[in-house]
This record gives sequence, C-alpha cells and structure tokens, in this order.
Amino acid sequence: MLLVEENIDKELAVKKLALVVDDSKMQCMMLSVLLEEEGYRVVSAHDGACGVAKYIEHQPDLILMDINMPIMNGYEAAKQIKNISRGSLAPLIFITSLDTDKAFIESVDAGGDSILVRPFTPEVFKAKIKSIQRISDLYQQVKNLQQEQQKDEELAELLLNSVIGARNFAQDKIGIVKKAAAIFSGDIQLSEQCPNGDVHVLLGDFTGHGLRSSIGAIPLTSTFRTMTQKGFSLLEIVKQVNDQLYDLLPADLFLAASFVCVSTVHNSVYVFNAGLPDTYIFSGDSQIKHRVSSQHPPLGVIPKLLSRSRLELYSVNDDDRIVMISDGVIEARNTYQEMYGIERFEQVVLQGDFSQNLAILVMQSVNEFCQNTEQEDDISIIDIPCNLFLDEKLPVLSENDSEYEEQIDENSLHIKSLEFENANKENISGDEILFTPPVWKWQLLLSGSRLGSVNPIPIAMTQIQAIEGAGEHWQSLYTILTELFVNALDHGILQLSSKLKNSPEGFVEYFNEREERLAHLTSGHIDIQLSYHLLNNGGRMLIKMKDSGKGFAVLEKFKLNSITLDNKNKLSGRGLELVNQLTETLEYQEHGTLVKASYVWDQDNN
Amino acid sequence: MSIKQQILADKNQVVIAIDKNFDFSLHQLFRESYTNCDTPKTNFILDLSRTQYMDSSALGMILLLKDHAEQLGGSVTVSKPSDTVYKILEIAQFHRLVTIEK
Repeated sequence: MLLVEENIDKELAVKKLALVVDDSKMQCMMLSVLLEEEGYRVVSAHDGACGVAKYIEHQPDLILMDINMPIMNGYEAAKQIKNISRGSLAPLIFITSLDTDKAFIESVDAGGDSILVRPFTPEVFKAKIKSIQRISDLYQQVKNLQQEQQKDEELAELLLNSVIGARNFAQDKIGIVKKAAAIFSGDIQLSEQCPNGDVHVLLGDFTGHGLRSSIGAIPLTSTFRTMTQKGFSLLEIVKQVNDQLYDLLPADLFLAASFVCVSTVHNSVYVFNAGLPDTYIFSGDSQIKHRVSSQHPPLGVIPKLLSRSRLELYSVNDDDRIVMISDGVIEARNTYQEMYGIERFEQVVLQGDFSQNLAILVMQSVNEFCQNTEQEDDISIIDIPCNLFLDEKLPVLSENDSEYEEQIDENSLHIKSLEFENANKENISGDEILFTPPVWKWQLLLSGSRLGSVNPIPIAMTQIQAIEGAGEHWQSLYTILTELFVNALDHGILQLSSKLKNSPEGFVEYFNEREERLAHLTSGHIDIQLSYHLLNNGGRMLIKMKDSGKGFAVLEKFKLNSITLDNKNKLSGRGLELVNQLTETLEYQEHGTLVKASYVWDQDNN
Repeated sequence: MSIKQQILADKNQVVIAIDKNFDFSLHQLFRESYTNCDTPKTNFILDLSRTQYMDSSALGMILLLKDHAEQLGGSVTVSKPSDTVYKILEIAQFHRLVTIEK
C-alpha cells in the first residue's frame, strides 16, 4: 500500500504543473519553454481573471504571475488565488519589470511568495524555480507529517476516551471536566470501586502534552483499575504506579497525581498528593475544611516511594465535597497574560451553588477569564461529593441498645468459644465441616515487619480466583477476610483500642497511631489458613486466622458492634457485624486470638 | 539566547542561567548546555534568578540534568528561584531531589 502511494507521488513529482499568467504571449511562451526544461507541464492565461479560473480548474503546483495585465492585474489575481487556495502550498512568484521597493512590498502583501525582476537569464530563472520548489516541498512534508500526527492523536484520543474514561465508576455522581490543550491530553481522570465498596479516584497530569505525554496512560489505568478491583489499598497502588512509571518512562516524563479514596466506613477520606496543586475538601456550608498539599515528588521520578510516605486521612460529612484540580487551572492565562490563580478558584467554589457540579462551575469561570486566548496546558477538575454511598447503605440489623461504652471486661477475655445464632443454621459445627476433604488448602504466615508492609488479602484473593475462577461471590469473601485480618492486626497485634474511633477526630488519631505502630512493627505474626470444600451447587471456604497478640474482648466488642450500627454518630465497628451477616459460621476462640469462619456460596443464590 | 552557560573550571562548576520562560521550547538548548560538560564531579548550578515562569517539562529537564550530573559523580543546585518558580518546585517536592538555594 505504501509502495503504491510512493510511486504515485514520484509520478506526480515528475509531472508538476505550472500556471503562467502574462498578457504577453511572447513572455508566456518563453517562460513555458524554460519551465518545461525543468520538467513542468505548463498551462497559461493572459489576464488575471482568466488566471484565477485556470487556477481553480487545474490546481497547479506553481504560479508565475505578471503584475500589469488587462481586466484584472496580478496583485488582485494573486489575492483571489491565495484566498481560494487557503491551506494549499503552491508558491506564487511575481514576474515584473518594476524594480521598485513599492512593487516588492505590494507583491508580498498580495500573497506572493517571491518576486523575480526582469531582465533575468534562463539560469537565474531556473535557480529561482528550484529554490522556491525546495521550500514548497518542505512545506508539503511538514503538512503530511502534521496530518499523520493528527490521525495518530485522534486514534489515541478515541482509545483513551473509550477504554479509560468510559469505564470510570459512578460517572453520574463524580463530576469530571477536562479540556485538552493538544488533542491528546496529558491529564488523566480515573475512578474505580474497591471490592469493599470504597471508591478510588485519580487525577493525574503527565509531563507535556500530546502523544508523548500519554504513553504512560494505559499502564497507569490498568494498574489503577486492576489493583483497586483486587482490593489493594490506595498506598499500595501509589507505590506500584510509581515503580512502574519509573521503569517505563524516560527521566523527563513523569506523573503528577492526586489520589483519593472515599471510604464507605467511618465517613473518611484518604488523600495522597504527589506533585499536583492542593486537593481541597470543602464543607457543605461553603468553607474550606482542608487543603491537601503535595507531599511527594511526582510519580516515576524516583525508583521507590519515599520511605515515610503515607496517606492523609480526613473525616468528612455527607455534604462535603472533594475537589481536585490540575495546574492547568491555576496557570490558565487571559489576554493580559495574567494567571487564573488559586484565589479565583477558591472564590468560585466558595460562592458556588453546591447542588451543582462544581467542576463545571470552575471550568466556566476559567473559560470566562481566558476568553479566547490559546490554551497552553490541559485543564482538569474533579468534584467528588462525599455522599457517594447514600443510595446503597449496608443492611442494618435491628438493635435495642443505644448506649455504648467500651469496657474491657475481665471475664469476656476468657471466653473460650463464641457461637452465633446463624452458626447452627445448617446444624454444622466448625469441626464437622472439616470432615469433608478440602479440594485445596492455602496458607500464609506473615510476621514482623512484613505484617506492617504486606496486605495478604489481595494475595489470597488472587490465589482463590486463580484456582476457582473469578466471580461476584468472592466479593463477600474479600470483605470477610479483610475485616478479620484488620481486626487481628489492629486489636490483636497492634493492641489498638477501638474506643478511639468514637469521634471523627479520634478516628484520625486512631489511623495515625496505627500507621506509627505499623511502621515500627518488628515482632508478632498472623497465620491465615484457607481450605475450600466443594458443595453440590457451589462451595464452602473455611477460614482460620490466628494472631500472636494477647487477645481482645471479643464478646464485648461484638455486642457493641451491633449497637453502634443503629447510631450514625458512632464510628466504630460495622466490621464484625458485617462479617457475621456474610458468614455461615463465625467463632472467636483462644481469647480472641483465633477466629474461625466459614463462607458458603451457592450458584442459585449468588 | 535565553540560556547562558558559564564554566568555572577552577571551582568545578557549570552555571546554567535561564531567562524568562523555562519551558519545553528550551528543551534542545538546555540539553546542549550541559551534555558537553563531562568533567567528573561537576556541580551544575541552575541559576533561575531571571526565570519568571517554569512548566512541568522544565521539571523533566532538571531531572535529565540531575541524571547527567550523577553519572559524573556531581550534583545539581537550583539557585535563586523566584516565588512563583519556587512554588512550582515545591508542589513537585523537588527539594527532596536536588539542592534548592533561595
């Protein structure tokens, strides 16, 4: 295909067409001969109007134009031709005996590309044609390249929009606005849901614009989505993205990005800002609650995330809004070269109507500010309402008690075994289940510093799905495993008291304390054992999780968890209650250091 | 020329000064300003005292310079950025990567 095109190009190159416009037939003939010697075919016209008509008819590659002609002079004809041929590259040379500055200036103004003053020798004429043709050929090459690049960019944009943007989660609730400087944007906006219902949102800005800046977009998207879906925490995803981009991209290409996790639990939001302008949390009554500043170089710059990197945790209300912006917003310029700036952004949001999409509001304001100035950088704004989950609350059990105070009851510490009502649903006790042989077993024992740095649950889920295939029913299992593991880690190993979690401030404190203790964890272990048993119509997963901690007041805790569900202000412990609902049996033994649970899925009910 | 380069051989220093806008248009010039400096342990001083604006591709260029300097066992010092420029360096947390002298 390419070969054929090249051949046609060559043929056309050989047979270039020149248009000679001159009222003197003598001159026409002389120029024609010289042009033919240079390999041109020639068409001629004897006045300006006729020249324009012939131009339209033949679309020549080169035009030679006399100035003084009847009916329409050369300047007027040149203007008309240049007007018609907008975007065409056929050079136009004026041939004249008027050797004056005025003639020269007027021919350039009329759109002439060059001027040749009589008398001239055939050699000078031919040299002139060659030089002007050389420039014209360069123009053509540039234009071809531009068109090819544009085609590539359009294709890439199509890909990006359909593969990346279209798959975003909760597109009806999360306001995303983007405006690319080049066709292909270096900005990227992603949202995806975790197995436990949390939502991860990313606003990223790759260095530069166009195709070059988007090389990283596809691997970034795939890592972000896959890891989120598998249940990796936000910080683990950030780490992976950094390492991957560092390996993949040249040194001067990197990603400034802000990551947000909106958690279904505890009305909390986690933020990690690496190189983007501040990410904002606005309260429903139009106040700035937090500005989350960049705390890390952009991703892909250094081989590993800085060692003390951590997520920032904030407690939020349902009517709070998180707004993320790219630097294109702040640096957008108007005709006076003023920047839009952060103050204007804050003003617009604070004065804005919070029932509206704030991202669109900001974009409108930026557009008004810039009027028609050319946009230098990609502009992206994401507006996340913190009530993302209002429509899909977790089921709540009816409870009578309303007061809750956690007290470590010495007696409850010695409770050996705790069976719940639904443990007897099918008259199967934990031990009986073990009689049917498992089709496979899996075990992972994490200890010391690895406990603080590795999340075993995505690893377990990957194993399970590798053996049994993917499916919706594993989402519940993911929740069960996560809750049990977090309990074992937080209360068993780290000895954190969930009392802290009773207030929004306390939850932040809890989180900070947890991070601190995790970072210094050197001893202790958690042993996770899974065994899978086939049932006629599905399967049963037996879970055993044993930690090396001192145990915690399971009974007390569990009772209390049920209570807190009813009271929206209580932040602690929907966890175990949820696990209780999802599992067939749930038992805490050995002072709460060993938990056994079984999870059944049925093809008909799942 | 919006980039000036000055070699202080006795101090093992190369000063690269950027005028006005430090952006993608300087890519080629900027590269040329340091690629021929291959004396071991050169300290590259990036003088931004006259730089009014800098974009993210400029950050990328600083990283390229840093790579080059580190290959020579040398270092990069960013000198006297204006408040606007410093803000950009700060958002990108570049003080963790190179020395910045205000």
